[in-house]
Amino acid sequence: MKRRFPLLLVFIFGIMGIIPYYIPHAAYQNFDNGLRNDFLRILSAFAIILGLVSLMRVHHDKIKRKRENWQFSYVLIIGFVVSGIIGLLGGVEGELFLPTRIAGFQFDIQTLYLNIIVPLGSTMFALLAFFMASASYRAFRARSLESSLLLGAAFIIMIGVLPLADRISTHLPSFAQWVMDIPNVAAKRGITFGIALGGIATSLKIILGIERSWLGGKE
Amino acid sequence: MKVIEYLSQLDRRIVYLVLAFAVMLPLIIPSVQRVRVMTPVAKLFNAVDAIPDDRILMIDFDYDPQTLPEMEPMGIALLRHAFQKRIRVAALSLYVQPLGLAKRALDQVTEEFNQRATSYADSVIYGRDYVFLGWQPPPIVPLLGMGISITSVYTRDYYGYRTDSLPMMRRVRNFNDVGILVSLSGATAPLWWVAYSQTRFGVAVGAGITAVSASEFYQYYQTGQFSGLMIGMKGAAEYEELVETKLMLVDRRKASEALGSLTAAHLTMIAFIIIGNVGYFVRRRSRKGVVK
Amino acid sequence: MNITHDPWVWISGLLTICILSFLYRDNPFYKFAEHLFVGVANGYFLTFTVHRVLIPNLFSPLFNEGRLFFILPFMVGMLYVMRFITRVSWLVRIPIAVTIGYYTGAVIPATVQADIIRQIQGTILTPSNFQAWNAGSNGILWSVILFIGVVCTLSYFYFSREHKGVLGVTSRIGIIFIMIGFGAAFGYTVMARVSLLIGRFQFILGPWLGIIE
Repeated sequence: MKRRFPLLLVFIFGIMGIIPYYIPHAAYQNFDNGLRNDFLRILSAFAIILGLVSLMRVHHDKIKRKRENWQFSYVLIIGFVVSGIIGLLGGVEGELFLPTRIAGFQFDIQTLYLNIIVPLGSTMFALLAFFMASASYRAFRARSLESSLLLGAAFIIMIGVLPLADRISTHLPSFAQWVMDIPNVAAKRGITFGIALGGIATSLKIILGIERSWLGGKE
Repeated sequence: MKVIEYLSQLDRRIVYLVLAFAVMLPLIIPSVQRVRVMTPVAKLFNAVDAIPDDRILMIDFDYDPQTLPEMEPMGIALLRHAFQKRIRVAALSLYVQPLGLAKRALDQVTEEFNQRATSYADSVIYGRDYVFLGWQPPPIVPLLGMGISITSVYTRDYYGYRTDSLPMMRRVRNFNDVGILVSLSGATAPLWWVAYSQTRFGVAVGAGITAVSASEFYQYYQTGQFSGLMIGMKGAAEYEELVETKLMLVDRRKASEALGSLTAAHLTMIAFIIIGNVGYFVRRRSRKGVVK
Repeated sequence: MNITHDPWVWISGLLTICILSFLYRDNPFYKFAEHLFVGVANGYFLTFTVHRVLIPNLFSPLFNEGRLFFILPFMVGMLYVMRFITRVSWLVRIPIAVTIGYYTGAVIPATVQADIIRQIQGTILTPSNFQAWNAGSNGILWSVILFIGVVCTLSYFYFSREHKGVLGVTSRIGIIFIMIGFGAAFGYTVMARVSLLIGRFQFILGPWLGIIE
């Protein structure tokens, strides 16, 4: 029951996910639309809430057990609580009852987003440029024909995309475009076929109950 | 030889510093570089340009702060194009993080146009000329639901207004009223629009993508599943070029301003790779000499 | 130089420096900024989930409009909370089953159509594919190269037989195409990463320090 009922549900809803593609009849399409709008959407919102609660539990546990860097978990929890209060009680546009402006200093959720989340998120990924430079410098070696081809193609693209390429040769940007259009597409398409077939096989295994790892637990 | 060996074994922090200077210096000496517009971007521009009056441009803002510098110029150029040609725009996001950036882009371009406007008819008015539908999870809800009814998926917009009360949305029912949907994404959202929305409802899809995804997405462009493609900062610069030259709309071109730094950084990376390889082959040869 | 007086730009700038400090080595400033990012981002997420999803799509229809149907998704959604009660934690499988079931069902026809059928249509040697290149008679050559490349790439990933004889030759050609494809991907990845760095420097030198317009 504890495993069979969910497996039955996955089968039923799996079929319900496939059928609308083949039944264009308005009545069924509206039912399918209602299923997504009125049911799946709400489930996903609760899943998000579950994720947030789990995150807080993990960090609360980290503080309680004084694990490595436990002090920073306070930063996370305080950041979450403060921004959550500002957002929930102040509203998406600062339109609710919590004031989000004091003496010209604004602190609504959009301001927090643009001035905390955006610079932090951008900079974290900007670090990758440095790591890529260092890694390429240390490890990218033309040791064999294959790696030389890889290096050659990389150089063609890296130069071909620049405005400078036109000044080196008018054919260079077109050649770089050709490399993307033909050999690159050929390779990626072969890989895509494999991934697509694997994805379909896995989906069928889940729907038919052959793949059960998502159930978790022992019982 | 010693110089080559020294250069090929630099401390990583020196590599970081050299790259940082290579990027910073062209920014301090600003220049807007003109670019040759390649076919994928030109096709996207033409597809947007050809939207009939009774259809809208739908823009899926799906870039988050991690891909902001590449993607935001695309979004802004696209909005400038649409507003200049009086094409109505519906903006949305499949995820929550891009919402703030979508709002920022919409606010910026709207303000640009309204500062130039000389009358109410000229202005860009929310609800009449564009709507910001916001976010509804999970992604499959808008991907499939908007083929039936857009207002059933987005009952309220980003600002909390009822979408069926907005003037623009009274004449827009579902994907049949969308001329083209352009997905600006740092991940695989454009592929989902193709796989779900296009296969079921036939909506035309264009994409603005981060350069990391470029090699994977080209196959969908080759089959025509994408009507056009903008790739990374260069793609954004090409679209900015088209907006300026074809629509005579001169405004700040953030992607084009960055091309000098992009050039310097690429050449620096190539130089580092070449130096690393030369040093490697020199060391390998001297080791072989010692063994002999 | 025209350094800004806007406190929020200063906060953004200092947080940027905290993250960049990681280049020297891991340090408390970086960890602080990292944890702050996760906390505030989740607060943002929670705000929109409640205000733009749960209130208009569940609580408003249920409590304001009296549409009792919504008790059902509410109850099923609340089963997620059962995860924290050990005796009945198996109930969390129900909403997971509904979600996973629908998604895995919907993905099958979508993948077949977009990733298999359309890609095969783009690969096979037909006059429309020759003309799609807009390259005159070269279009036939490009289509043939593409076709050979796809077939050879697929043959490389066929590991059920040893790569000898004909299969050895085709898989060797396949690896050439794969290496070119990965090289192109690397080239574009460099552009992507460098662009992100340029964006950050545009902020530091522009709105913060006022060195550039």
